[in-house]
Amino acid sequence: MKHFMLPVRWFLIFILIFLLISCSRLPVIKPVDQAVLPDIERRCHQPFVDIPYRFIHAIEVTLPGGGAGTVVGVTVVDPAAENIHSVIMTIEGFVLFDARYEREVRVDRAVPPFNAKHFAERLMEDVRLILVAPRGRPSIAGILENGSTICRYDISQGRILDLIIHQDKSWEIGLYSDSYETIRRVNASSVMDRIPKLIKLTAYDYWDYSLLLTLINAEPVLAGAIQLQPGESPDDE
Amino acid sequence: MEFMTTASRAKKGVFLIGVLFSCTIMLGWADNWEDIRRESAKIKSVSAHFSQEKHIQILTRPLVSKGLFYFQAPDSVRWEYTSPVKSVLLMRKGDIRRYTVGSKGLVEDKGGSLESMQIVLQEISRWSTGQFTANEHFSASLKGGRGAKIILTPREKGLSSMILRIVITLSPDRPGVIKSVKIIESEGNYTLFEFADVQINGKISESLFREVI
Repeated sequence: MKHFMLPVRWFLIFILIFLLISCSRLPVIKPVDQAVLPDIERRCHQPFVDIPYRFIHAIEVTLPGGGAGTVVGVTVVDPAAENIHSVIMTIEGFVLFDARYEREVRVDRAVPPFNAKHFAERLMEDVRLILVAPRGRPSIAGILENGSTICRYDISQGRILDLIIHQDKSWEIGLYSDSYETIRRVNASSVMDRIPKLIKLTAYDYWDYSLLLTLINAEPVLAGAIQLQPGESPDDE
Repeated sequence: MEFMTTASRAKKGVFLIGVLFSCTIMLGWADNWEDIRRESAKIKSVSAHFSQEKHIQILTRPLVSKGLFYFQAPDSVRWEYTSPVKSVLLMRKGDIRRYTVGSKGLVEDKGGSLESMQIVLQEISRWSTGQFTANEHFSASLKGGRGAKIILTPREKGLSSMILRIVITLSPDRPGVIKSVKIIESEGNYTLFEFADVQINGKISESLFREVI
């Protein structure tokens, strides 16, 4: 019996240590006065645009095993409708991937390897994470030890999203699983007029990869502008 | 009165010479494949500035990139972007490499999109020497005359799912010179390359096709 109890005790200690380590991965939030909470929530909304916007980025992709390359990404987000239209092309202009999220993902074009199963869904999740404000109000909001503002959101599937706004207006996102494992980390820097010049996304789940987005252009788009601009046909043939 | 008549005749003569000269230009140098092959065969090297306009539905204005193009017969190409993303494609003896300036400086691209670029650059090499027909990837048709156009249509279904057709517009007044290339991927989705400051048969350092900087 003693022989059996000892491993159980050690197992429980191991679980406790594991949970403590896991929990310690989430930043510790210092509570703030209720009166300043609305201001903190307002600051947590600052990284995200309120109106439809078009972003053009140079995207450096780093894959496991050393694969790397640069593509150009064009993304239109409509934050009110939560619609996303995303196009990835080579520097030479070849379209590798063209998909929309309008309640569901619709892929218009996907050249290998961008036609991989679930690629479109995961890409849209990454785009949403970077460019669209989390739904609802934060479950906790406050400040960190270093004075940065933090809003913590409980999102679907038990996941947690921490949005941290630093005093220099740079910001970061930590996306954690229900067991507090880091799934995504986003760091945005060189922020001007709410738009970051650089965004780095690191993914830690299915397969590790990182995306470094360098802003080429950002501009507001008229709502429905995409629908109003059917592709013009080449006219000089 | 006699003076007026002479002046009038002279004017008419100048006018006629002008018309004839214009007609000669209008006839162009690219009325048939043989003309094109003959003129293009004289081209041993090309250097030019290019602008690239990407037209696609998601953009209300085209995305413009700029760069430099170098070609040395038979098959060396340097395709260099100076903005908005600095990048250099080098093709020499069938070997192709791409370098892009990123967070770690100039880094060789190890992505998988180079295979398609290899096809395109090999085509550009062929076009630069007038080899439009007898092509394994594309069938070619010619609309001759001034500012002649060559329309390339993919032969294979796999390629036609990526490229509907390519329209090459030849320079109206410079034999052997390509004015623009339009790559149409689908209706409303095309890339237009336009060449300017084209230098023909100038000396190009061999190192430009070997070294990035």
